[in-house]
Amino acid sequence: MAGAASRVHYLTDFCCPLGGPAAGRPRVLCHEPEVFLSTGREFVYVYDQEGGQLTAVFQFPDQVWHLQLLAPRRALYVLCARTGLYCLALDSLSRSLSQASEDKEDEDLPSPVIPVDPDACVLPDATLCAFTVVEDMLITLVQGPTQWKMQLFERPCPGEEPRPEGQIGEVELSTCTPPGGVPGKSAAPCFLPVLCCVLPPGSRALHGQPQGFECFMLEEALFGLLFGADATLLQSAVILCGLPDGQLCCVVLRALVTSRSAPGDPKALVKILHHLEEPVVFIGALRTEPQPEEAAGGLLPGEDVHSDCLVALGHQGRTLAIKASWNNSGNLVPELREYCLPGPVLCAVCDGDGHMYHSTPSDLCVVDLTRNGISWNLEKPDQAIGGLPSTLCPDSLNICSVVTLCVSSRAPTGGTELLALSAKGRLITCSLDLNSEEPGPARMTMANAGQKIKELLLDIGDVSERVSFLKKAVDQRNKALTSLNEAMNVSCALLSRQEGARPISCTTTIAWSRLELRDVLMATCVLENGSSFSLDQGWTLYIKVLTSSSALDLDGAGSTFTYTIPVDRLSPGSRREVTLPLGPSESGVLDLPVTVSCWLFYSLREVVSGALAPSDPLEIPYLEEYPLNLPKQEVVCLPLCKRTVDMLQCLRFPSLASSPAQASCLPGPVREHVETFLETCQAPHSDLAGPASLRAKYLPPSTASIRVSAELLRASLEDGHSGFSLCSATLQWLLAENVAVDVVRASALSSIQGVAPDGTDFHLIVREVAVTDLSPAGPIQAVEIQVESSSLADMCRAHHAIIRRMQTMITEQAAHGSSPPDLRMQYLHQIHANHQALLREVQTLRDQLCTEDEVSSYTAAQKLLQVYKQLRNPSLVLL
Amino acid sequence: MSHLIIPAVPKAPASCLDLWRQKNDRLVHQARQLARDTSPSLRRQRLAQDILEKFRGLLHTLQGLPAAVPALPLELTVTCNFIILRASLAQGFPEDLTQDIQRSLERVLETQNQLGPKLEQGLKELWNSVLHSSSLLPELLPALHCLASLQAALWLSTDHLGDLALLLQTLNGSQTEASENLLLLLKSWSSPAEMSDAPLTLQNASALRDVVLTAFAYRQGFQELITGNLPSALSSLHEAASGLCPQPMLVQVYTALGTCLRKMGSPQKALLYLTAALKVGTTWAPPLLEASRLYRQLGDTSAELESLKLLAEALSATHNPEAPKLLIEVDLLLPQPDPASPLHCGTQSQAKYLLASRCLQAGRAEEAAEHYLDLLALLLDGSEPRVGPCMPELFLEAAAALIQAGRPQDALTVCEELLSRTSSLLPKMSWLQENVRKGTRKLPHCPLWVSATHLLQGQAWSQLKAPKEALSEFSQCLELLFQAVPKDKEQGSGSTYEDLYSCSDVALQQLRVAALISRGLEWVSSSQDTKALNDFLLSVQICPGNRDGSVYLLQTLKRLDRKNEATAFWREAQTHLLKEEAAWSVPLYLETYLSWLHPPNCETLLEEFQTSLLESHDL
Repeated sequence: MAGAASRVHYLTDFCCPLGGPAAGRPRVLCHEPEVFLSTGREFVYVYDQEGGQLTAVFQFPDQVWHLQLLAPRRALYVLCARTGLYCLALDSLSRSLSQASEDKEDEDLPSPVIPVDPDACVLPDATLCAFTVVEDMLITLVQGPTQWKMQLFERPCPGEEPRPEGQIGEVELSTCTPPGGVPGKSAAPCFLPVLCCVLPPGSRALHGQPQGFECFMLEEALFGLLFGADATLLQSAVILCGLPDGQLCCVVLRALVTSRSAPGDPKALVKILHHLEEPVVFIGALRTEPQPEEAAGGLLPGEDVHSDCLVALGHQGRTLAIKASWNNSGNLVPELREYCLPGPVLCAVCDGDGHMYHSTPSDLCVVDLTRNGISWNLEKPDQAIGGLPSTLCPDSLNICSVVTLCVSSRAPTGGTELLALSAKGRLITCSLDLNSEEPGPARMTMANAGQKIKELLLDIGDVSERVSFLKKAVDQRNKALTSLNEAMNVSCALLSRQEGARPISCTTTIAWSRLELRDVLMATCVLENGSSFSLDQGWTLYIKVLTSSSALDLDGAGSTFTYTIPVDRLSPGSRREVTLPLGPSESGVLDLPVTVSCWLFYSLREVVSGALAPSDPLEIPYLEEYPLNLPKQEVVCLPLCKRTVDMLQCLRFPSLASSPAQASCLPGPVREHVETFLETCQAPHSDLAGPASLRAKYLPPSTASIRVSAELLRASLEDGHSGFSLCSATLQWLLAENVAVDVVRASALSSIQGVAPDGTDFHLIVREVAVTDLSPAGPIQAVEIQVESSSLADMCRAHHAIIRRMQTMITEQAAHGSSPPDLRMQYLHQIHANHQALLREVQTLRDQLCTEDEVSSYTAAQKLLQVYKQLRNPSLVLL
Repeated sequence: MSHLIIPAVPKAPASCLDLWRQKNDRLVHQARQLARDTSPSLRRQRLAQDILEKFRGLLHTLQGLPAAVPALPLELTVTCNFIILRASLAQGFPEDLTQDIQRSLERVLETQNQLGPKLEQGLKELWNSVLHSSSLLPELLPALHCLASLQAALWLSTDHLGDLALLLQTLNGSQTEASENLLLLLKSWSSPAEMSDAPLTLQNASALRDVVLTAFAYRQGFQELITGNLPSALSSLHEAASGLCPQPMLVQVYTALGTCLRKMGSPQKALLYLTAALKVGTTWAPPLLEASRLYRQLGDTSAELESLKLLAEALSATHNPEAPKLLIEVDLLLPQPDPASPLHCGTQSQAKYLLASRCLQAGRAEEAAEHYLDLLALLLDGSEPRVGPCMPELFLEAAAALIQAGRPQDALTVCEELLSRTSSLLPKMSWLQENVRKGTRKLPHCPLWVSATHLLQGQAWSQLKAPKEALSEFSQCLELLFQAVPKDKEQGSGSTYEDLYSCSDVALQQLRVAALISRGLEWVSSSQDTKALNDFLLSVQICPGNRDGSVYLLQTLKRLDRKNEATAFWREAQTHLLKEEAAWSVPLYLETYLSWLHPPNCETLLEEFQTSLLESHDL
């Protein structure tokens, strides 16, 4: 086809947010100069094309789903969601309207909103989903709990008292799955069924009806073939019904007139023509070959078009076309073809010249089914007779997101005029001259130049709107792809190098700082990007802080805090610092050890769906229908580091003046004097208040000791600690991750007095001892590390921390293969046996604790503490 | 002086309970008043809907409070009223009505402190626990029985007869004797008398019980009638007839009794019931249809046709249905009318067709022709749905009736009308001509009715003494017929589109025979015996044993003086001919047509042959 020339005229703007297809079903109808329009909300607008203004706005109780105009009777039928069918008599309304406007002349409202009288409801039925009016019949489709039901009524007239017994016939269609619950209460169904009426050739019903809309005449052969000899002989209208499940079925209207007492037999009445397997959104008919009369002497404009091709469109663009043709032996056979047009289809319409227009969110396309639109197979002309094209080539009209369409009945000479409502609520006309070949400029005169330029500008405006829309979409997709590519690179870089220096690293340091009058242990995680890629949108630093269970709460599993920090653009070489508090909590408890783990997360959904997120609500169905197949795990998770913070790292040493932790801990000069004063006033009280302080005052401090052979220590500490005594080196090693280590090193201390996080005193002493009775070869030189604290819990935590360090050291040393000295086995056995006995006692005591009453459990607890104390002071040496 | 300032409260209702009770009674009064207005209108429906909503509101109020013994009778009564009105307005029992019943029962149990953990029990169990509850108050019983009768109605309408029997046994307190006879159970169920001061109900328990009883008897009677269990059908129907039937139902019951008695072989009694049905006087169609069947069985054709005529008239009268009475009535509990039921009368055109075809079968050609023409006018006018056979056959039957009535010109018009109306479905003539020109002589398939139309047209021309036209029609008919493919030989095409071209084997064969004999007879009348002989011979070959064809063949052979061949044929054919001709089921028009082809004095002719051949043999 030669390029379709279209001219777009903007008529008016119903600047209502249409709110996407979920909001309702927009409709537009055109009769003479009047345009009837619903935007999917509860209003019906009447627009006068000649006057160029709104003449009336009707308000209905709920969304308007469908409109139909019975032109000769000047009656407008309106299907209101969850309410029923209304019938408005346009003449009487216009009369009352003019009166109303006379009454309100002083008011500056050109079109008053008229709420519709409940008496205009001619068929109250909440389950009504579709209707069509033919001759004197009203055909409705209601949704039962399991089935669609087609009902036939005498057509109610406007202003007439409706009679409930007007029902003439009824038949059940196929089963349906109700779209989410009971209609009337639930949300609107996604897709409504489509009804349309097919008239046999020569019937008179079409006169005065808007052509090609819901009602059309088929030529005899196709009619007979589709609906049978009886429908042909009876010249009965046939109702075609396209259901949301894709079924296309037909009911011969004359057969549906059943006796009132018995509903029709579906097997006899309903014939399934086809199954589209996607919701049917449009049924129409076309004339693809010139009519014989037309070929002979030209068709009068008022003459009916006998369509020879039935088309049905599915939501995804699957298209069915049926034509009647004669096979080789001359028999009439149906020719069915399925095509795929670009979807999702928002609306469609057929014109009288064999064109079908269908609208998608991105374009309005025209499809030519006529013979001149088809490349004929010249070698087999026989088969071409009555044939359908093997493929359909939609031509773009460069108009996007048209939500409803109709062929204007005011079609100017030649060509077609479409009336369309865009998703933004604009009513436009679109004049198409699909066959025009003559160049425009040749005929341009001065008089129409201005007009022409205006049109061109409008065209440009429309095209540019579309271009910007498409460009935005492409940009977003590109961005998403770039982001995905970078993410891929980062993941590869991190995962390929499990050990050694990683290109992207995270280091955690801890320090005490003062926040809101409290000393708080802060962890600082530094994320450093040493790679050549930048971490962009979609990356998140995920930090998990896991505290161990409290010593007082045996069953507690410890608490976990997670922090997610979006990494918003971390370019190569840059770093990001995150500081988070580890405790102590409000109650002053810091459950050590605390584990801080860091990961990098990458959210696919955030990036991909963000890029595909529709800027236009009309895009929503498009995206829903083609969901991006994201993997089940929508995030990529890359572990970075893990750090355990134990007691030894959290100790503070106020006695060491130059400790930076101490400095921050002391009241600085900036602090308010009053505050300082208050604090000092409070301090003694608060110290005395807690049981811990009481215990500290009156109870002997708890102690624990660990002995390590000097040889072992020396071997592992030999590098980096040369020049120090073994005791000092050991202390430095223990406090290596504490901020005070420099002071320890500077003054070569071998014992240190500090403060635990909860404020209790804490003493760490390292001294050299000789263990005599262990080895037959003589005394073994050993180092004893003694932990002293008035708080039992703190002592335990520190003991645990030291043991943990020892463990790592010994495993490292074991790898080096040092050999222990000779030992007295019997002595060792003895110690072992002692310990076994102690452990057994622990077990029984713990069992008692669980079972016995308070008094005895108190004594049991006392005993248990004693045993634990013994266990903590072993006579063993780590060799 | 304070007593002067405070006005005296005028007769304040004692409590909220009284207020609610008054509201219930007021609503019941309103509903009854509305029910008196029998003309159906949307306004009435809206008012009824309003009352229903008010009942619903009242019920919500009552059920918003914890269940309490004093409020329970009122609550149950309001529930019953609500259900009755709702079912009556919906003309059926919506599914969620069971929930209303269930909630009420649960609340009864709540007051008995019996609900507890058994919250999940079904309706059956709930009824069982409620009715077996020891501490039920006597004033609760009437409302509870009313609710039970609604449950019975619901179960009857949904065919849960087992549950219904259990409920009735529990209500009757006769659990030990496991009587399965629902009719007996229903009869022996007596509901407790209502207190005079009880809140008003739209329909009380005993009235509802009567409705359930009648509906059940009706259903059972019809079922037994269809399954052929006639004596028990008779007793069930008698039960239904003695019950509280609305008049249209009574007509049905009397007619069903007539059907039953006819089948049991007592036509006189049957007639009495049919007369009674007609006297009820709301709908006449069912008894008239049944009467026509009865007269047909009795062989009284004129009475039969008279009944059918009346039936057609009765069905043409439209009667306005009455508005629902806002009560639960028998017809609410009956299943949807089934077109296969013996009482289904169909539409006016169906009755008209029955009449016309019976006239044709009975040989009353003139009447038949008139009825057929009426029927066609009725159908094509568009005011009536289609009838039994497919439309083309109806046209053909009309044409056959017209020919038989001696109106060949009209028959030709009917045939032309048929062909012109379906011309679009026929192969294009240009194709025919092209094939002829190419010499392929390959004709396209045609629907069978097209051939039959040509056959009838030929017959009409023949009757008009126009042998040329007749011969041409017969020939065209035969040409088309020999192209047709019988249905069973064609593999199922699986097409959903109407198969215009297939036909039954027997009909095709008989059509061919009829066309050949007709053409042969036409040749005979124009004295071309050899051509006639060919056609007759062919007809006998197609259908060996066809008596008419054989007789004509023998006659022609005799006329041509080819005795030897005749003898030989006779010997061969004798075995076939002496056998009774098999009864075929062919379309009515064909049956009529074939009857025209019988040689007037077939038997004597055959006998003549027998004797003459024997003589010649003896010689």
